[in-house]
Amino acid sequence: MSGMRAFLDRLHPHFVKGGRFEKYYAIYEMVDTFLYTPSDVTTRAPHVRDALDVKRLMTYVVLATIPVILMSWYNTGYQANLAMTEMGVAETSGWRGAVIGMLNIGYSPDSVFAAMFHGFLYFLPIYIVTLAAGGICEVIFATVRGHEVNEGFLVTSMLYTLIMPPTIPLWQVALGIIFGVVIGKEVFGGTGKNFLNPALTGRAFLFFAYPAQISGDSVWTAVEGFSGATALSLSASGGVEAITASGVSWMNAFLGTIQGSLGETSALACLIGGVFLMYTGVANWRIVAGVMMGMVVTSTLLNLVGSDTNPMFAMPWYWHLVVGGFAFGMVFMATDPVSAAMTNLGRWYFGALIGFMVVLIRVVNPAFPEGMMLAILFANLFAPLIDYFVVKSNIKRRERRIQASVQ
Amino acid sequence: MSQLTKEIVTDPLVDNNPIVLQVLGICSALAVTSNLKTALLMSVAVIAVVSFSNLFVSLIRTQIPSSVRIIVQMTIIASLVIVVDQLLKAFAYETSKQLSVFVGLIITNCIVMGRAEAFAMKNPPFASFMDGLGNGLGYSLILILVGIVRELLGAGSLMGVTIFQTVNEGGWYVANGLMLLPPSAFFVIGLLIWALRTWKPVQQEAPDFKILPSHSEEGA
Amino acid sequence: MLKKFLETPNDNKIKTITVVAVLCLVCSIFVSASAVALKPIQQKNKQVEKKTKILEIAGLMERGGDVDELFKQFTPKVVELSTGEYVDDIDPTTYDQRKAAKKPELSVPVGRSDDIASIKRQAKYATVYLVEQDDQVKKIVIPVHGYGLWSTLYGYMALDGDGKTVTGFGFYEHAETPGLGGEVDNPKWKGLWPGKVVYGENGDVQLRVVKGNVDPSKPGSEHKVDGLAGATLTSQGVSNLVQFWLGENGFGPYLEKFIERNG
Repeated sequence: MSGMRAFLDRLHPHFVKGGRFEKYYAIYEMVDTFLYTPSDVTTRAPHVRDALDVKRLMTYVVLATIPVILMSWYNTGYQANLAMTEMGVAETSGWRGAVIGMLNIGYSPDSVFAAMFHGFLYFLPIYIVTLAAGGICEVIFATVRGHEVNEGFLVTSMLYTLIMPPTIPLWQVALGIIFGVVIGKEVFGGTGKNFLNPALTGRAFLFFAYPAQISGDSVWTAVEGFSGATALSLSASGGVEAITASGVSWMNAFLGTIQGSLGETSALACLIGGVFLMYTGVANWRIVAGVMMGMVVTSTLLNLVGSDTNPMFAMPWYWHLVVGGFAFGMVFMATDPVSAAMTNLGRWYFGALIGFMVVLIRVVNPAFPEGMMLAILFANLFAPLIDYFVVKSNIKRRERRIQASVQ
Repeated sequence: MSQLTKEIVTDPLVDNNPIVLQVLGICSALAVTSNLKTALLMSVAVIAVVSFSNLFVSLIRTQIPSSVRIIVQMTIIASLVIVVDQLLKAFAYETSKQLSVFVGLIITNCIVMGRAEAFAMKNPPFASFMDGLGNGLGYSLILILVGIVRELLGAGSLMGVTIFQTVNEGGWYVANGLMLLPPSAFFVIGLLIWALRTWKPVQQEAPDFKILPSHSEEGA
Repeated sequence: MLKKFLETPNDNKIKTITVVAVLCLVCSIFVSASAVALKPIQQKNKQVEKKTKILEIAGLMERGGDVDELFKQFTPKVVELSTGEYVDDIDPTTYDQRKAAKKPELSVPVGRSDDIASIKRQAKYATVYLVEQDDQVKKIVIPVHGYGLWSTLYGYMALDGDGKTVTGFGFYEHAETPGLGGEVDNPKWKGLWPGKVVYGENGDVQLRVVKGNVDPSKPGSEHKVDGLAGATLTSQGVSNLVQFWLGENGFGPYLEKFIERNG
């Protein structure tokens, strides 16, 4: 390892001011700090002393997504293999078929390994394209603007991959992440200054630009010509009965063996990641609790109101929790420390706003069966305002206290 | 044309563009740019209204009582807008139907009022007319650019003529639906502003506050 | 005197009022003159547009053809929807069904359970356009409308002389999402309609839009049209408005009599 250090140190003079590759300092810095702890220290106030630096924070998030990633491989492959068995298709064509055939893994939906491998072959290209396309943007901006490439992108790219449907064309994956990184983050000054979650911004772009490839019934299972509605879109037309009638029990939805984007189907995997994040303090528990409360209260309220024509009104909160992207969004997206509210009280309001909006969009708006993405982006916009009012009210309270003590 | 009048006309195109520098008239720019045809027609309407309102306001500028000058300007602008609207309905019916209320809303377009108050009230008729023309052209330039981008990416066509054959019609181009929705004009105008201010750094606004670097300078 | 007036200071009260009054007068003359002068052209535009749409949907539009001339193939007639009989005392060239639907004396509310197209009120009378040849009706165009996802869709449906086979269908006004519900304007989708049969064996409306694709080998496919991808609610809306306007609250009674007379 010391050889590596020596190599980097030898290169160092070329990249600092006046060096030959001064322009590319960002790239050098990225490699250096990825491998070693940075040597420079903050010199100006405020100083925050914490074992948790940005790098570790981001690593923890990536660690927390591991159960979700594993589940996404398994479920994507499982759904595909199941559909293939159902349709009587023996093997897939294209490079995936070739790889699976070469390794002689097969397509049995009962084999966990076969399913995971098949799913992995869908996950991998999307992830690579995301890393490459988004990474290039990051490096370009870092080089031109002279700031450092931030580890945050590792998290963004992983989360972004997990909210893609398995069948999405790769060029759309690239467009989405470029939009997310550039418009969602870099135009506002880069990591820490973005008010929207970049991964969700990218997905929202795709959702409105290419709705046919990211919504509907035929995009969730990686088998050509197979049409399977997500649990949410089933419930939009027939309520919970329609979901159970299609053979999906609550337990299926909780474990995640249902149709959906790569990583969002399993509420269980998301919750495991969530517990880890909250335990380590990376995700703020107040936001998660706020989202949960907002969702439970709003859905229960709508249960009580009831509706003759809209079966979604009758959907209980524990179903809202397990279908669609609710669990994933609550754990990984809403808790993004940059775009969420920053004050403790504000975090409650911020979370509750998401919980309220997601149920409202799912139940009342006929155009969008899923509301998590839009609800979080909406709350992101309000986060600074929420913080502002919380801070204002704190100042007022203290002023009153001082006045009271003076008199 | 004298050097000065030339400047009056060309200045609002790039150096002092009403949309991208002054950020005026955004509302209609969002609404009518989903295809090039409506953007063009809107441009013609705005050019006509802003140059003639400047001309007429300037003609009677010495006689306008200052207490009611805004109302007088509004009356002239409103009359012109109605006439333009009627003309469009008569001679460009199809497209004017797509423009719907936005021709009528030229009355409230800040550019028109702004030029009448800022320029025509203080300058002779010919110069005022040219100023209106320049500002109308500056507005049109952006509208047309946005219209081209949105129609080309959103529907694969320009002026209704297919450029990229879309998948729905058996071609290769997957149309970007976002471009047909009004918010996309925000992105496109934003990117235009970005590009223009990179090209002409004079137009950049000074930051409200400076963020101190958190790290020590190398070797400091 | 004019010179004296112009020389008066601008903030003089009398001058202020006079200037404003003269300006208003000039502007109003200007505006009304243009409105009056252009009115005939505008009305003609409206007529031509409506006729073009009807011609296009009936498949009778010819490139470069004179719209008025082509439109002479049609005999417009006003129909009383509840009875299905022609009405002679309303002039079909001036009757406006969309305006009539808003007037209490010319319209009836649609019962909540019947109102599958979500139109709330419907005009008592409707204009149909017939193409006659040798005393035989060759084609019949009926106006339809109903609610989609965001907006009311207005369109026409052209039926064959047998009164139950679709020969053309399309909308001339809607505000559905571009790229999704907006695909109702896609020529490919509109091309799915001709040849579809409205009524089933026992005379009920069978024509509808289904989710996904229609399998042409299965029985009943002649009544079904592919849904629009990613636009479930617009497809549903189109299906509903077709069912409504061809059913007993719409043109059902008229078409029933029409089939008896013609067949």
